[in-house]
Amino acid sequence: MSAYFLHLAILGGIYIILAISLNLIIGYAGQVSLGHAAFYGIGAYVSALTSLNWQFPFPLAALSAMLFTGGCGLALGLPTLRLKEDYLAIVTLGFGVIVDLVFLNLEITGGPDGLAGIPPPSVLGLSFRPPPLYLLLTLLAVLFTLGLTYRLVHSYHGRALKAIRDHEVTAQVMGINTPSYKVAIFTLAAALAGLAGSLYAHYITFINPESFGLHTSILILCMVVVGGMGSIAGAVVGALALTMLPEMLRQFHAYQDLIYGALLVGLLIWRPEGLLGRGKLSLKFLSRE
Amino acid sequence: MFLQQLLNGLTAGSVYALIALGYTMIYGILGLINFAQGEIYMCGAFVAVLLLGTGQVNFYLAFAGGMAAAALLGVVLERVAFRPLRGSHPLVPLISAIGASIFLQSLALLLFGPNDRPFPIQFNFSTITIAGLPLSSLQGAILAAALGFMGLLVVFVRYTRYGKAIVACALDRDTARLMGVNVDRMVALTFFIGSALSGAAGIMMAIYYNATYPRMGLLPGLKAFSAAILGGVGSIPGAILGGLLLGVAESLGAAYVSSGYKDAIAFAILILVLLFRPQGILKGRGD
Repeated sequence: MSAYFLHLAILGGIYIILAISLNLIIGYAGQVSLGHAAFYGIGAYVSALTSLNWQFPFPLAALSAMLFTGGCGLALGLPTLRLKEDYLAIVTLGFGVIVDLVFLNLEITGGPDGLAGIPPPSVLGLSFRPPPLYLLLTLLAVLFTLGLTYRLVHSYHGRALKAIRDHEVTAQVMGINTPSYKVAIFTLAAALAGLAGSLYAHYITFINPESFGLHTSILILCMVVVGGMGSIAGAVVGALALTMLPEMLRQFHAYQDLIYGALLVGLLIWRPEGLLGRGKLSLKFLSRE
Repeated sequence: MFLQQLLNGLTAGSVYALIALGYTMIYGILGLINFAQGEIYMCGAFVAVLLLGTGQVNFYLAFAGGMAAAALLGVVLERVAFRPLRGSHPLVPLISAIGASIFLQSLALLLFGPNDRPFPIQFNFSTITIAGLPLSSLQGAILAAALGFMGLLVVFVRYTRYGKAIVACALDRDTARLMGVNVDRMVALTFFIGSALSGAAGIMMAIYYNATYPRMGLLPGLKAFSAAILGGVGSIPGAILGGLLLGVAESLGAAYVSSGYKDAIAFAILILVLLFRPQGILKGRGD
């Protein structure tokens, strides 16, 4: 495997975690978030700062990143999740813009210069700096995320979430506590995005606000919609497709974004439900239903 | 100082309001957030600048040309990127709009290059003092023009057949269709008007900041979107009020709190307002 391919695979893995976590919010809780990159960024900064300032080892740094972003998700979700879809979209969009500006203006985050020299993870003396090992680490995190969401989605709680997505009032009538479910899923999704941020920070070893702006939020959203909302496999395919697509278009240089935008519109007209819409390619044989 | 900031805020706010009108009308009729509105704004500015650059067109003609191009772009977008997706999950047209926005931005980048273009003609705007308040006549002209466009829109929507048909579609598309309203044509008309207003806003901002560039629509678009929601989405007076409020809040915030957080202030206020009044300041749909 070439170094370039490894690099893409690691980034693809990080995006898979992001897409799956956003898919929990969109595809399963039926809520719209336009600021997912904010949680990704918070995770990256928390992980980087704890390991730079307090010499936290990677697992601890990643854990604190997840806890902290989860806390942010909780703090944002509690007051806002009673808002309707479109309002939630704008609140999360605003949250993303604000977080981005906070990264840019705070002293501790290094402002526009960002943070450099983030140590690569090493566990028990084994450094994960070589890309093949880092890919392994990323894959472990992807598997963890996949397993967690898969178990969740196919549990009692997962069915409750789907009920909320399909018809909130009916779900309430059936005795599902819809606000707490929405807040819980938002918190979990934020924590997973924090994990992705931590993985990114310790892989690239240099972070600045540019990586976590609106552009990234939209990219993750596109991955979920292109792959197919409400499908875990869809989120994986969407994340991989949109990680690889710009690379494949690289030979067209200046026309790269132009083709990217046109393909996005064309794809949605061709398949509005996304590549793997609900239930198109299910992994039913893995579930115990 | 305070009054000056207030005026700066009102000027920017009136432009946000113009774009917000496009958002709110399109949202009212289709329930769709047209993320490419900022690119329509950019298109209006570019066409006007190019027309003026030829040296053969006077300012008013170029202004009308920019608005017409923006309106046309809006109608084409509706036909190509949104109409085929009607009836699918609300997020799908949103992503399609984002795709269209990426496409248009990079098209502009290819055609015009990344650099700022100054506005080709210079205006000799003087500063007049009214009651001790220095008012640049440029700001006055922008405010007057923006308010004029808004007035025209309100009259159009309230008192003409087509305006009423648009409201009918916004209230209930199916019933409007049963009443003999050609819904597709009304949707196209909504895009036409909303985009023309955004185009006008783009031209005014190109004059105000003396810069036209491919990404110029991004932040004004986002802020106008917030303004539309702030005022109560689907409500025309709400969009106007929301735009003005946002402009003023941002200008005062930048002056008295921190200029580094200028863009954050607008969104922070938006979040706070939504928390306490989730339906927007003026509740309404299809007003």
